Amino acid sequence: MKSSPESRRRWFARFLPRSIVARTSLSILVLAVVMGLVFSVMASWRVRAAEHDRLIARVHELTATVESTVSIACFLNDATLAKEIAGGLMKNRIVAGVRITSGPKLLYSGGVVEAADGRAARIDAFPQTIYSPFDQKNEVGRVTLYVSSAEIEAQAAAYSRYTIWILSLQVSIVAAAVAFLVYLLVTRPIKGISDELHRLEIRSGMRLAWPSGNRKDEIGQLVLDVNGLIARLTDALANERDLRVAQEISERRMRLVFEKADTGILVLDARGAVQSSNPSFVRILGPGAALPGAKLDDLLRPHGPLVAELIESASAADEPREADMEVDLGPGRGKIWVELSVNRLGPNLLQGLVNDITERKRAEVAARELAARDPVTSLLNRRGIDAALVQVLERPIESRARPALLQIDLDHFKAVNDTHGHDAGDQVLRVVARVLERAVRRSDFVGRSGGDEFQVILAGVEQAAIALEIANKIIAGIAQPVDIGAGVLVQVGASVGIAMGSGEYEAPASFLRRADEAMYEAKQGGRGCARIAPAAVTEPEDSAAA
Amino acid sequence: MKHLVFILMFAAFAIRIADANEPVSIVVIVNPASGVDHLTRDEVIDIFLGRYRKLPSGRAALPIDVAESSAERERFYQLLVKKSPADMSSYWARLVFSGQTSPPFQVPDSKTALELVQSNPNAIAYVDRASVGPGVKVVLEIKP
Repeated sequence: MKSSPESRRRWFARFLPRSIVARTSLSILVLAVVMGLVFSVMASWRVRAAEHDRLIARVHELTATVESTVSIACFLNDATLAKEIAGGLMKNRIVAGVRITSGPKLLYSGGVVEAADGRAARIDAFPQTIYSPFDQKNEVGRVTLYVSSAEIEAQAAAYSRYTIWILSLQVSIVAAAVAFLVYLLVTRPIKGISDELHRLEIRSGMRLAWPSGNRKDEIGQLVLDVNGLIARLTDALANERDLRVAQEISERRMRLVFEKADTGILVLDARGAVQSSNPSFVRILGPGAALPGAKLDDLLRPHGPLVAELIESASAADEPREADMEVDLGPGRGKIWVELSVNRLGPNLLQGLVNDITERKRAEVAARELAARDPVTSLLNRRGIDAALVQVLERPIESRARPALLQIDLDHFKAVNDTHGHDAGDQVLRVVARVLERAVRRSDFVGRSGGDEFQVILAGVEQAAIALEIANKIIAGIAQPVDIGAGVLVQVGASVGIAMGSGEYEAPASFLRRADEAMYEAKQGGRGCARIAPAAVTEPEDSAAA
Repeated sequence: MKHLVFILMFAAFAIRIADANEPVSIVVIVNPASGVDHLTRDEVIDIFLGRYRKLPSGRAALPIDVAESSAERERFYQLLVKKSPADMSSYWARLVFSGQTSPPFQVPDSKTALELVQSNPNAIAYVDRASVGPGVKVVLEIKP
């Protein structure tokens, strides 16, 4: 059987009572018994030795006591007196025998004067020379006391036992008194505090009772400190409760803001996965946004790369990154415009704000359209034409189709204006506008840059001939008489300059200038005809007259 | 009367001083027919204190003490064994019950002792040196 110190300690602890009172008392008791034993053993040995010495001294004292009388008996050779003295001596239990001699003459010999058994009853002789009572120099006899060592030992042992008894009794009483005092002064107050503390409920604001007997000592200090701790704990608990309530209110408010906000709010990681979001986010982007594992770049199709870029740059910087994007929500919802703002919250954590800006975008488009339209003809105005031209010219060239610009100038329009007034002029302009719109495809652009100047931008024609054909069709259409009301017919004509785009990029201004120059050429060429401008300087020669 | 008492006290004092200043020897005396010429101090001690009641000549010894209150007796024992009368009483008292020996025969005064020695060859007594009369033999003089 193995027994580690640990297991031995546990084995030992099984026999120890758990109560501090019992344990203290038991400890004191055990200590008292051990110390009592140690002291008893030491004391018994000492006491025994001391008692032995004392008894030996007693024998000498006895001899001294009877010395003067023995002296007389020896002086007078008085056996009767000697016997008397010996009788008195032998009344002492330690004196086993007495022998009194006067010179060679034996006056008395009685009791045990020789060892009967050398071992069991050893007899010690204590001889004393006796001098004359009248002359201290004159030796008159000798008295010898015989003492039993066994008797001395027995007496010493008895006395030693008695001492041990007294000592044990004393140690027991002291131990009991100490145990009682320790119980009264230390253990009981501590047990009281312990029990009280065990039952104590912090919330109720209870305090430990101050033990009346221990106010000024360490136990009183302990109670004071514990009460101080309890008070602080109670305060801390109350504070924490208040704080929690305040936090709950704040959280509820924030949650309310989060839940009820029109803005879609979401938390996402650096890979764009949506961690959590509010109802508005789902409302804006549809039920797919509520699915677990939804990714923002998937939701904002087809702007995934842009979203990823925003997330990346917002993660790197501490500033918000934002962009407007038109999102295709698929069948049913169609396309909407959203504004996405991405903010870094922490490592690998970002906050996203999504606003539905479709309405605003529509208003913007309407406003932009309004700004790009000519109010008289509803065609593009100068700015609209420029924008369209930019768009067409910057469009990547995918096929052999090339852009073409038709610069149209009305002939004889000033006469109509002067003769019939501005309303008639506007009427003519509107009719011309319809002619132009009818002559082109929907993907083409038609505009009036001012006065009687019109532009047609053909998004893509494969040959200059087709542009020329369209120009001629326009010229014919405009040449038709126009009813300006009250049966009055007026007629205007048109001169057209054509600039063909090349495969290379050309600045809009250059494109416009070429068309303009061609138009002037047509006017000088007799009006009512179309001219194609020479190709741009870098372009190989590809021009021909109509 | 007062003066008389004072004078008497003074006289007594004067006598004591005279005693001390003029030491008087004690002599041990025996009958001339005792056959003893001289005794040692130890022999006198043995006889008077009861150890041997015999004279060196073989004759039994009869030691004689004077009255207990007498000055001679006190001085004799003081000079002989350096014991006071109380010591001597104690000594003899211890021997009363043993009965083997007895104190010396007691006579009222020195005169009687002297007469006894004169008439009895066994007798042995002590007297002041000055009191020695005819018909006795001094065997030891004990000087202070």
